[in-house]
Amino acid sequence: MEIIKNFPCLSILLCMFAAIISSALKGRGARWLNSFVIAAVSVLSFAVLYLTITTKESYVYVMGHFPAPFGNEIRFGSLEAGMALFFCVIMMLSLNGGRKKLLLEINPAKENLYYIMVDLLLSSLLALVYTNDLFTAYVFVEINTISACGLIMITERGHTIEAATRYMIMSLLGSGLFLIGICLLYDLTGHLLMSNIKAGIDAIVANGTYHTPLLVTIALIVVGLAIKSALFPFHAWLPNAYGYSTVSSAAILSSLVSKGYIFLLIKIIYRVIGFDTFRDSKIINVLFVFGLAGMIMGSLSAIRENDIRRMISFSSVAQIGYIYMGFGLGTAVGMVASVFHMLSHAATKSLLFVSGSGLTDVSGGHKEFLELTGSAYRNICAGLAFTVGSLSMVGIPVFSGFVSKLLFSQAAILNEHKVLPTLIALAISTILNTIYFMKTVIRIYTPAHGKYASASWKENPAYAVTLLLFIILNVVLGMCSQPITDWIAQGLSVFA
Amino acid sequence: MEQLLLWPVFCPILAGIALLFKKEFKQRKTLLVFVGSILLVSGILAIYGIFAVEGGVTLFYLTKTLPVYFKLDMLGKFFTFVVVIVWILAGFFSFEYMKHEKNEKRYYAFYLIVFGVLIGLDFSGNLITMYLFYEFMTLTSMPLVLHNQSREAVMAALKYLFFSFAGAYMALFGVYFISRYGTTLEFTAGGVIEAGVLQQHSALFLTVTMCMLIGFGVKAGMFPLHAWLPAAHPVAPGPASAVLSGIIVKGGVLAVIRVVYQLIGVEFLRGSIVQTVWMALTLITVFMGSMLAFREPVLKKRLAYSTVSQLSYILFGLSVMQPQALTGSLLHVAAHAFIKTALFLGASAVIYRTGATRVEDLRGIGKGMPVTIWCYTIVSLGLIGIPPLSGFISKWYLATGALDSGMAVFSWLGPVTLLVSALLTAGYLLPVTMQGFFPGEGYDWKRFAGKEPSYLMLVPLLALAVLTILIGVLPNGLTEEFAAFAAQVM
Repeated sequence: MEIIKNFPCLSILLCMFAAIISSALKGRGARWLNSFVIAAVSVLSFAVLYLTITTKESYVYVMGHFPAPFGNEIRFGSLEAGMALFFCVIMMLSLNGGRKKLLLEINPAKENLYYIMVDLLLSSLLALVYTNDLFTAYVFVEINTISACGLIMITERGHTIEAATRYMIMSLLGSGLFLIGICLLYDLTGHLLMSNIKAGIDAIVANGTYHTPLLVTIALIVVGLAIKSALFPFHAWLPNAYGYSTVSSAAILSSLVSKGYIFLLIKIIYRVIGFDTFRDSKIINVLFVFGLAGMIMGSLSAIRENDIRRMISFSSVAQIGYIYMGFGLGTAVGMVASVFHMLSHAATKSLLFVSGSGLTDVSGGHKEFLELTGSAYRNICAGLAFTVGSLSMVGIPVFSGFVSKLLFSQAAILNEHKVLPTLIALAISTILNTIYFMKTVIRIYTPAHGKYASASWKENPAYAVTLLLFIILNVVLGMCSQPITDWIAQGLSVFA
Repeated sequence: MEQLLLWPVFCPILAGIALLFKKEFKQRKTLLVFVGSILLVSGILAIYGIFAVEGGVTLFYLTKTLPVYFKLDMLGKFFTFVVVIVWILAGFFSFEYMKHEKNEKRYYAFYLIVFGVLIGLDFSGNLITMYLFYEFMTLTSMPLVLHNQSREAVMAALKYLFFSFAGAYMALFGVYFISRYGTTLEFTAGGVIEAGVLQQHSALFLTVTMCMLIGFGVKAGMFPLHAWLPAAHPVAPGPASAVLSGIIVKGGVLAVIRVVYQLIGVEFLRGSIVQTVWMALTLITVFMGSMLAFREPVLKKRLAYSTVSQLSYILFGLSVMQPQALTGSLLHVAAHAFIKTALFLGASAVIYRTGATRVEDLRGIGKGMPVTIWCYTIVSLGLIGIPPLSGFISKWYLATGALDSGMAVFSWLGPVTLLVSALLTAGYLLPVTMQGFFPGEGYDWKRFAGKEPSYLMLVPLLALAVLTILIGVLPNGLTEEFAAFAAQVM
């Protein structure tokens, strides 16, 4: 059992070394190494999850020779381990689903670069999940940004370069605010390790001093991370970045990268600022309002979109809004709902991106709805998977989206002041979701005659299997939600 | 033993899904035999389940406190019974009607799936299960609306979907609150929320109930969210529009009964603003539906408007919250299911054999298709409420219930509206019969000669006509059951 405690650190290092080695490998080698690393990290994370769930505790792992408050630490409980495992699974599935497409879209000589980026991204995600040091978190936020840019512009077309530049600018703005926030925290408390900062902040709050600086700090950190995770109204970079990049990148960006930042934010809320301090600050209401606005505005933009990929991207804005709305409720139940929605959205959105690419492929590469007419008959697996994803987004029972909505509203009912806006926004957003997703589903199931050739699943069995696994993941999240919410609640309880 | 309840739900659903994925059958006959036997087997299983199974069965737990749970009570049994009869008869009718339609396999696949879903809806023992199957009902019946995939059909299907989802989410709003404050989600006579809690949050629960009434009322075509119904029902293939109008809309009625009588409880709602508004809405719908039907020249659309009006008869009876009116509503559920299905099947038989869709094209039709038009006439009279046919009995109970309710305005306004609407019903249904049998001068006798459809179409029609008469002549068994149910919940 003792050895398992080394695994979180090991998995981060494994990914970093894989990235370094890949730079010397050809595309094929890098691809295999990447698959191996993701599989290995999954196994390691699973072991950690097993340990933390059985003991119901969280552990601190000291990096290097200096103990706190000077050294660097990793801290993990069941939530972190489970998140790491989930990220690996989604990443593996997203990569598999877009593998064939990727080879067509990029310069073959640069394939290994793509996997370097993926390895680095995974290492930074793991670090964001596991680290207990705020500055380390900042460093990996930057690594994450750079590798995400690489993933966006790997196809080297005009659109993607523009999108990557935009993403870079917005993201750096976010990291900048985040960095200033960290500096201020360091000023206020004199620490960089999360647990020590928390002790410092508790003392400040108890004394009643530095009220405004603390508020500003919280605001800077929250807004910085909100920009990076595309909370409305900071989402301008998102549709192009997700809409034009290659499908694996889009799936990974939407379901993992933004979730990494959100997870970091949860961690900061619980472990740095303290949940009660955060709840008593005004920032929480701002998040709530932005979340509600995002839920509706994201969907409205999606309705206006005529490009299936950009439509799915805009729907991400709405879903991120849900997550922040859950934060804004300021209850532990709301937090559980938000974390569940992170999982549910990650599983659904990557499914939609991957199945959407199958549909555009059998429509001559067009992404406009008119050309997609009847594409579900030309690629049966993709059509089915897209339908499942849509139903989940709309919130039909047995799929994961329904459980998220159920949890959100159960959480909202406990908060007397925010219950009405939440439920009304949920209702409106659901109807808007129905409008654009069902419109698409009907469109792809409307027969069209013989313009494009159809694709059988036998041509690309890996793709079909990926979609099947995605569907299973969605249904599992939807039908067996109780153990998952139990796990989240337990994980959050040992989080602080 | 309780597991028996799962069979009639999942047998047709699984068979339907298998059918969707199967390659085209070489012979049409194989498909028909398969569909027919699944229909019959599931029907028999469902009926057997009604009589043999006492307890309930939990399928799985959505979350710790939300089981998907099947249990039959009187209401569930009654609705299942109606569904099974109509579904099987309309299914056999389709065997002839769908001969010349495209995508026949897909039609039957969804026809079977919806059958299973409906039985699931009727079997469900708690709110969350009912909501689950209610959503599925919308989704799986949409392909029936969509069937011919013309632009009109797609737009109608979208309309259907949006109205239904909007309604379902208004209802879901209530589900949240009931699960928060209720002692249980299982349907319990008299309600699941303690009186003290209801009084404490009375404004909240009135809002919630209104939302749920309007939300579930969407399926039953209640004003103000009725506009989808006249668009969606007529574009489906004939037998599908028959079951949409005859059966699927009753899903909304079932949900409303469950909410009002078995979750919130009538004690709380009686005399409240919600009751008043609800009654006003239903009466508006009754009148408006009849007027619109009266003005509509296309027969199938006319029948769809008539559904809007007739469903609100049922809802009106429920809104009175009086035992006799409740009995009348439940009787009208059965009567309307059989009658409206028969009317739509009659109209489909006419379309199938002659292609005529507008009422004025049907002059002299009775000479060519006597059996069809006779059936049509009998059930029309039933819907108007001529004794001894079924519509008379149900309306009798509705009217006496309203008169006994002791509400100042509605106790007479209700029966008056029902009477006016009955006149209008005669006005929009009987022209087909009158012009059909008495075409007047200058009539071309050859036009409809020998157009009588085959037995596959005639037998379901005849059976439904006989059922309409039977309920009218021998209603006592049913009314006793309903009275017992009414005594339980009030």
